[in-house]
Amino acid sequence: MGLILDKAPAILEHIPGGSIVVTTLDWAINQSRANSLWPLAFGTKCCAIEVLMATGAAHQDLSRFGAEVARHTTRQADMMIVAGTIVKKMAPRVRLLYEQMAEPRYVIATGSCAISGGPFMYNSYHIVRGVDEVIPVDVYVPGCPPRPEAFFWGLLTLQRLIKQGETIRKPGIRTKPVLSALPAGMTAEQVREEIARELERENVVDVNQAAERLPWAAKVREWIQNHSSQP
Amino acid sequence: MGREGQGMDSESLIAAVIGLEAEAQARGASDRPAVRTPLGTLEPLLRQLRDRDALAFDMLLDHTAVDWPEEGRFEVMYRLFSLRHGHDLLVCADVPRDHPVVPTMCGIWPSAEFQEREVYDLFGIEYDQHPDLRRVFLEDDWQGHPLRKDYQDPDMLEDPRK
Ligand code: SF4
Repeated sequence: MGLILDKAPAILEHIPGGSIVVTTLDWAINQSRANSLWPLAFGTKCCAIEVLMATGAAHQDLSRFGAEVARHTTRQADMMIVAGTIVKKMAPRVRLLYEQMAEPRYVIATGSCAISGGPFMYNSYHIVRGVDEVIPVDVYVPGCPPRPEAFFWGLLTLQRLIKQGETIRKPGIRTKPVLSALPAGMTAEQVREEIARELERENVVDVNQAAERLPWAAKVREWIQNHSSQP
Repeated sequence: MGREGQGMDSESLIAAVIGLEAEAQARGASDRPAVRTPLGTLEPLLRQLRDRDALAFDMLLDHTAVDWPEEGRFEVMYRLFSLRHGHDLLVCADVPRDHPVVPTMCGIWPSAEFQEREVYDLFGIEYDQHPDLRRVFLEDDWQGHPLRKDYQDPDMLEDPRK
């Protein structure tokens, strides 16, 4: 698979109409990547209780996003949720685990500890001030700890990033990291509605609208008009 | 192992310890029965606390230290618990800061081995006769002992609000 994807753009771009195939491939690949993020269970401190345990349980239910298959080996995971403080002794291990994950790999840093060192920033001999000193981070989710809905907001942000930002033309090139703070005053109900709307929009295809968006839609309309006007 | 009654209350515990070791005194400012004893008497006292039937402190719950730089001393603390009687006791001793050497308690409670390694790691107190005195939490090449109040680290940030 990797080989085909690596070679595909170089071969296809030279064929007439090949770009459309690449773009369509991009769309399909991004959809499947975004909707089957397998997290690496990487809880190092109190955030893990909220972000890995509470969200995975039945009430919040992480599996709505296709991200419930928490793996305990890096080889099978493609999203690392850094939930908690990283200390100096842990830092080389985080780096190692990140390197072991297969491409494409994503990192969500949850909680002020993983973002900046949090409450342990000052006068502490052991802290790494932010996991981004060790590995690249895609989405930051602030909070101490973030509530489950804030984490879902971060996950949605990551999914949007993947769906919009990636192409097999440039593997490994990523959009800039994003701070995904839950907008002030937003409640769990509203997040749930937003998620439902998002899912609905993506999973329901209006055939007529989809046809309108295609590049040759205007020509088709013209052709239909010409032919229907002639008796 | 069944418990026999509720064990001793604070006053009788402290009185029993002072009966064993005349130089020990009650230590104020503590939330549990606590005594302070000179360093030289520490090991024989702890051994007797374990061996006497009426006291029977068969478990070393916790061993730690406190740094008092202004007074030039460390205070080593042993928190003892008796599974047989259900009473607990805190035993403290002062160690000079410029020569912090304490006899090891591994011969009395084997669990002391790792707890003493931890105190060595973070405070730099050395244990005479310890079988394996190495760092336990920090890397082997770490410089200094971070729980000392005067510890300095180039990576450490000072709080700018202070
Ligand atoms: S951010 Fe807060 S909740 Fe999360 S690991 Fe740090 S201290 Fe714990």
